[in-house]
Amino acid sequence: MNLDVLCICGIVGLAAGWLGFRWGAAWLRRRSGGCAGGCGCATKVGKKG
Amino acid sequence: MSDPVPSLAVALVGNPNTGKSTLFNALTGLRQRVGNYPGVTVARKSGTCDLGDGRKVELIDLPGLYSLAAASPDEQVVTDALAGKIAGERVPDVVVLVADATNLLRNLFLASQLAELGRPAVLVLNQADVAREQGLRIDTALLSARLGGIPVVLASAWKGEGVADVRRAIARAADERRLLPPVAWPANIAAALAELARAVAADTGHAPSAAEAQRLLFDTSPTLPERLGWDKARRDPAIRAAREQVRRSGYNPLAAEPLVHYERLRKALAGVLTEGAGKAGRTAAVDRLLLHRVLGPVLFLGIMLGMFASVFWLAKFPMQWISGGVDGLKAVVAPLLDGLPMLQSLVTDGMIGGVGAFLAFLPQILILFLFVGILEDSGYMARAAFIMDRLFSWCGLNGKSFVPMLSGFACAIPGLLSTRTIEDPKARLATAFAVPFMSCSARFPIYALMCAAFIGPLYGPGWESAVMVGMHGVGLLFAVPTAFILTRFVLKVKPQPFVLELPRYQMPKPRDVLWRMWQNAAEFVSKAGTVIFAITIIVWALSYFPRDPAVAQRVRAAAAGESAEVVQARVQAAYVEQSWMGRFGKAVQPAFDPCGFDWKITVGVLASFPAREVIVSTLGVTYSVGEGAKADSAHLQQAMRDAKWPDGPRAGTPIFSLAAVLALMVFFALCSQCGPTVATLAQETGGWKWAAISFVYMTALAWLMAVGVYQLVSRLA
Repeated sequence: MNLDVLCICGIVGLAAGWLGFRWGAAWLRRRSGGCAGGCGCATKVGKKG
Repeated sequence: MSDPVPSLAVALVGNPNTGKSTLFNALTGLRQRVGNYPGVTVARKSGTCDLGDGRKVELIDLPGLYSLAAASPDEQVVTDALAGKIAGERVPDVVVLVADATNLLRNLFLASQLAELGRPAVLVLNQADVAREQGLRIDTALLSARLGGIPVVLASAWKGEGVADVRRAIARAADERRLLPPVAWPANIAAALAELARAVAADTGHAPSAAEAQRLLFDTSPTLPERLGWDKARRDPAIRAAREQVRRSGYNPLAAEPLVHYERLRKALAGVLTEGAGKAGRTAAVDRLLLHRVLGPVLFLGIMLGMFASVFWLAKFPMQWISGGVDGLKAVVAPLLDGLPMLQSLVTDGMIGGVGAFLAFLPQILILFLFVGILEDSGYMARAAFIMDRLFSWCGLNGKSFVPMLSGFACAIPGLLSTRTIEDPKARLATAFAVPFMSCSARFPIYALMCAAFIGPLYGPGWESAVMVGMHGVGLLFAVPTAFILTRFVLKVKPQPFVLELPRYQMPKPRDVLWRMWQNAAEFVSKAGTVIFAITIIVWALSYFPRDPAVAQRVRAAAAGESAEVVQARVQAAYVEQSWMGRFGKAVQPAFDPCGFDWKITVGVLASFPAREVIVSTLGVTYSVGEGAKADSAHLQQAMRDAKWPDGPRAGTPIFSLAAVLALMVFFALCSQCGPTVATLAQETGGWKWAAISFVYMTALAWLMAVGVYQLVSRLA
């Protein structure tokens, strides 16, 4: 495998992995009642039953 | 000795738009969003405030409210926070009441109600500079004496005046623990309250606080009795009997509370306020013009047209500088990677070309937010809500829906969060459904690209801003009938009265306006450097691979006799067409053919579902793969102008005809292409049902309208 292919595989793999990780983390954050992201707000208001 | 951990919790409470968040920022050094219209803060925010004597306190900024009769979710947050009913949060040790010094009587109504909570308090009379300008003089010592000796401070938070006094007053209140004296209820009302408290305790086993008993007697909302677990069958007769007792004392039970509080406040304010000669009435004079039934909407449209025309005009040169920088970078980088052709294409066509095409719109975004910031801070945006109320009331919503929709023009997510200010859950849902239609700043790059590449060159710069205003209006045009159908036929929302406090006009504060501009620019650049960058790399890979040498051989054989440049261009086009992206785009393209989209636009549309801005970088990549350093930023616009249908009934005609350009813009104006917005809608509506309905409805509507526009304009043109 030459250097060109190696670089491409590394960069594309890194981009795909990072996107997957980011979307996974956002999904987990939303599941726990956190902000859906994008607005800079991280407020979580929970009420006592 | 200094105490690094906040030892006390201090809550900022007050009417909307009294400058609580500005005071919060001044006391904590934080940068929470502020605005010159009510309803900017919809959730609790906290920070640490140094009292200046070595003590640090946790300062909590709460949404504004007019009374403790909490009706909307944001008001509920305040009453819960003050009563210590928010999980994991401490009960505030001190309550700082922020009042507008120019409107003391109305602002103190909330203070008078809060007295029932029995918390040490500080009264901050904010906007003291404006009161001074209006010739108002306030005797703070006398007012303090009338309010049980609590500290009363004059301040002007946005100028930083009196902020140190507020710190000292909080320290004093925490030490002295002086309370606001509660209102003295007439005997019959006091007896009715006591009777009601006994009935609740007997039925639920929970003795309500004095404040809770008042809410049960004076409010019609079922929220509190339900939270107390008071059964409807038992509570209705008890509440009816208590209200009958109030009626016997000569008061209307639902009007008794403000009457008693205002009577007490008028006495407390006697001699406190002195009116001198001042500059009052400027706001009223300007409003006569800006809120005129006919002139008002015309001026609103004129202001919007002027704003977009200025955005295009002012951003022209900075955009050229960015494009020049991107081209220069490509020219420097490309020769360094001569031995690695794939990496060269990835870096120049994918990374620099794709992200550069997106970043070129940064000046327009910056200038747009500068104007929006000036309009918001000056107080004009609240007038816009007033003007729009007629339109909203027709569709069953009210002007209160305007603030979420206004926020939606920047980003749908804060817009959706602002729906918490709407009391009626059905009206809130209808507004939340309409907010994603608003033309957020993420739609701006595709509109700007289409206007710069086609509308401007074909019809002149005047049409650029007209189309821009029109595209921002398209979302509203569909949001209104959508809300109408929802409110009238699906949710059956009852008409809501609309009360909006119009803020006074003020000179926009450069610090706040520039800060907001900076925040939006930082978000835009950070998106370009993260999500857009990563997606661009994936799109490049899908548009580049697989590379079968047989494809090039076939094209070269068929193009024998043509110049080397033409042969090379055809080879690159053939490679992109047989790439994974090309194959996928061609497979899906028939669904978008009635909209006039070729496979490259189709790919851009599909890649934009997670985030709609991706369209620009995707087009940047698909139109430049293989072009390397030659593909400068102007190349994308030129390549789009040169693109022609290769075959079929439209063979040889431009792909980006006027019909296709308008259809593409309409599609992006209406389609639900933002993952975080769909997720926030689910969060705010308490489930995925309405988020899924919104996604399907907006996407289907976008497709239908794009088809309609393309077919209609094609025939007319």
